[in-house]
Amino acid sequence: MSNVWTVARQMIAEGIRMKVALVFLLLIGAVVLGLPFSIEGDHSVSGAVQSFMSYAFTATAVLLGMLAIFLARSLSDELVHRQIFFVMTKPVARWQYILGKWLGIALLNTAFLAGAGLAVYGMVQYIRYTRTYIDPKYDEGKLTKEILVARHAIRIKLPDFTREADAEFERNMEAGVYEDNIKNNPRFKLAEEKQRLAKKREAMWRVVGPNAVRVFEFEHLLVRRGKGSFIQFRYKTDVANPPSDEVLRARFVFGNTFKGTPEFEVPVRHFIGRYQTMALPASCVAKDQTLTVRFYNTNPYPGEPKHPAVMQFLAANEVEVLFVVGTFGGNLLRLLALMQCKLMFLAAVGVLMTTWLSFPVAALASFTIYVLAGTRGFITDALDLNLGDSAGMFTSVKDFLLQTFALVYNGVLMVIPDFSRFDAVESFVNGRNVPLVWVLQAVTELAGMKTAIALGVAMLLFHRRELAEVSL
Amino acid sequence: MSHRPPVLQTAGLCKTFRDFWRRPRVEAVKDLNLEIHPGEVFGLLGPNGSGKTTTIKMLLGLLYPTRGRISIFGKPPTDVSVKSRIGFLPEESYLYRYLVGSETLDYFGRLFRLPARVRRERTERLLDMVGLRHEAKRPVGEYSKGMARRIGLAQALINDPELLILDEPTSGLDPIGAHQIKEVIRELGRKGKTILLSSHILADVEDVCGRVTILYGGQERETGDIDSLLREESLTQITAPPLSPATLDQVRALIRRLEAKEVVDVTHPRIRLEEFFLRIVREAQDANLHTHGARSGGDIPEFLSKATETSEGGVVEELVTAGRRAEPVAFKPEPIVAKDPSRNVIDDLLGRPAPAGDEATKTKRAAPARAAEPARTAPHADRGIIDDLLKGSPSGSGKGSSSERDATRETTP
Repeated sequence: MSNVWTVARQMIAEGIRMKVALVFLLLIGAVVLGLPFSIEGDHSVSGAVQSFMSYAFTATAVLLGMLAIFLARSLSDELVHRQIFFVMTKPVARWQYILGKWLGIALLNTAFLAGAGLAVYGMVQYIRYTRTYIDPKYDEGKLTKEILVARHAIRIKLPDFTREADAEFERNMEAGVYEDNIKNNPRFKLAEEKQRLAKKREAMWRVVGPNAVRVFEFEHLLVRRGKGSFIQFRYKTDVANPPSDEVLRARFVFGNTFKGTPEFEVPVRHFIGRYQTMALPASCVAKDQTLTVRFYNTNPYPGEPKHPAVMQFLAANEVEVLFVVGTFGGNLLRLLALMQCKLMFLAAVGVLMTTWLSFPVAALASFTIYVLAGTRGFITDALDLNLGDSAGMFTSVKDFLLQTFALVYNGVLMVIPDFSRFDAVESFVNGRNVPLVWVLQAVTELAGMKTAIALGVAMLLFHRRELAEVSL
Repeated sequence: MSHRPPVLQTAGLCKTFRDFWRRPRVEAVKDLNLEIHPGEVFGLLGPNGSGKTTTIKMLLGLLYPTRGRISIFGKPPTDVSVKSRIGFLPEESYLYRYLVGSETLDYFGRLFRLPARVRRERTERLLDMVGLRHEAKRPVGEYSKGMARRIGLAQALINDPELLILDEPTSGLDPIGAHQIKEVIRELGRKGKTILLSSHILADVEDVCGRVTILYGGQERETGDIDSLLREESLTQITAPPLSPATLDQVRALIRRLEAKEVVDVTHPRIRLEEFFLRIVREAQDANLHTHGARSGGDIPEFLSKATETSEGGVVEELVTAGRRAEPVAFKPEPIVAKDPSRNVIDDLLGRPAPAGDEATKTKRAAPARAAEPARTAPHADRGIIDDLLKGSPSGSGKGSSSERDATRETTP
């Protein structure tokens, strides 16, 4: 392995002395060190911190991703300028050379990413302690309790609607509701109808009519208990028939006396359609780590207009309980680890491409993979490729082409990772915990499996390649 | 011939370059059979495009043969372990422009897994040898072509190789550098290293190689002992100190009488321009005139000849030592005919008896030493004479030059 390390060291020296890396470092420095002086956000300190972190990490990720690809130029350069003649006539195996190049790029990226992370951390402290808080109590509290922390979120436990849906389905069957569909519609499937009914039940459950009550249950709240311990309740409501002043007036009750917890009644009055977060004592969480929340769609404010609004808690993340599980620093480290895994994969892609393509083409191919990995989910949704039922006999040339394309595309997706699955910047900026399991997944899938595949192919191509090849 | 297996062997080696569509376009090497034995300084000669560099690239695993077999130290050239015993200088010095000279050597030393102390020592000694010690901290990208060649040679020697492959080693070098490189090759040959030299500069090959293969159009045209290839059997050359016209007439008459043949040519021999140039530069260096370029190199570092401190351990050390012990195979050094300075040419020609034990003087054709003893005495003798003549000192100076001047040399041109 000493030769791998020797080549890696050389790669690092090249990256620094050829000034390619320094250009990127300067760009990252300009973003990270310059933004705090100009960023405004929503004019609050917490908003400025969030905006800064979001821009800084996004820019860092993009620039370091490009750097990983650019640094791979070294291999292509050595082939073109023939330094490879010196290196590969020494006792260096070709796989050692490839691995060394990749390691050098990865280490250089690690150093830059660590530097960028440290700079962001420092600049966050700078913003925090030098800017004036317009509403110190709210803003500082938000910053320390909602942003510069690592909070874990638990979503509501949805009731099981399948039994009700099945019962309704049976009733419909007996009533002959589906007879026409069964006879005349070949696409009609009974299983899908059951699912549709279950979803309908859930949608109905998410709607809370005037003066009605909805009970939300949360499980697995591993909160720390003790003096000053708190949890946060975050929610957003949509209203089917909003009142003229667009203000929600309702009340929540947290806790469950049947489970031995105190109950806290919280009247709320705020604009509709915005996320609201409230802090609650951790004591409202039962010992079985559950929390009961009751939502009363009644106006608790006497004398204020009473409008019979129909409340909706539409999306899955519109009601959740958050509690602190880690520090800002620890969260930052996990975020950097995720970013590093992506960079390791990109470095491997860069090395792979330069083993058999000249640099401009290799860079283009690498960037294509980079973009594809970043927008995979979007592209897949847009293409809406589904082999589905038509797999088998092709009904037309168009069908054949579509199926073939879908097959190739799905094959490509097996190799190209989905970066959005490992994009934790938004979570981090919102003070959400970057779960260790994401990091482990990224290490296994990105830095491990996919990187190993890319490097393995690179080694194979490089092994078979004639290094003094003559183009005729 | 040696009973030891050849260091390098090719059998039916062919290389065809193809175009993008895999259609054969150029047959660069055709059915090449080479055999280079331990301790041999072997020349690969040929005009541009004759397949020399392609052959070397195949020997080093940088190109794969289309057909045929290559064996280096009994293994294929792609075997990594083989490469630790090879030093290679490509036809151009493709170095890392951003590394300084000493870092360049250190990097390549690392690739041979040499310990830090050994790398440091060898780097210093090799920089001394190639005359770049004073430029050791300058980026290689700023080096002149000649300086880059020198550092290229130094990197080829960093591992104390048993087999040294040099592709156009003197290209881009000034006469001093070319001379130094040839000296290094001679010295390494004397130490028992096996050297494969590719060049189209015939004088270089003639100066240092014992055996050559001449390539043309990718095919081997001639292979053999350089002396036997170049020896002109139809003429005899006699070299003597300046003779008076009367003596020359006597010599002519004697030859006419004894051999019934006319003397073809009588002239003053010329030294080679290279030797003259080197002397002028040496004088400038002795006068400590300043230069930013490469300086004359130092001696060959000890590690290239001494069996010490190789990091590779016992096996390599043993192999290196074995190589050093090896007798040159194809060209056993033949002694230069040392003449008794007290005897003159006329005595020899008239066949007057020599002092007892001077059998060598009876040798009519003493071939100049080559290969493992390439430091031929003859050029030094010539240089001494010319030096003396140019200094206008008929009596000469120094013991060496007087004895050389008096010596009579008989060679076959």
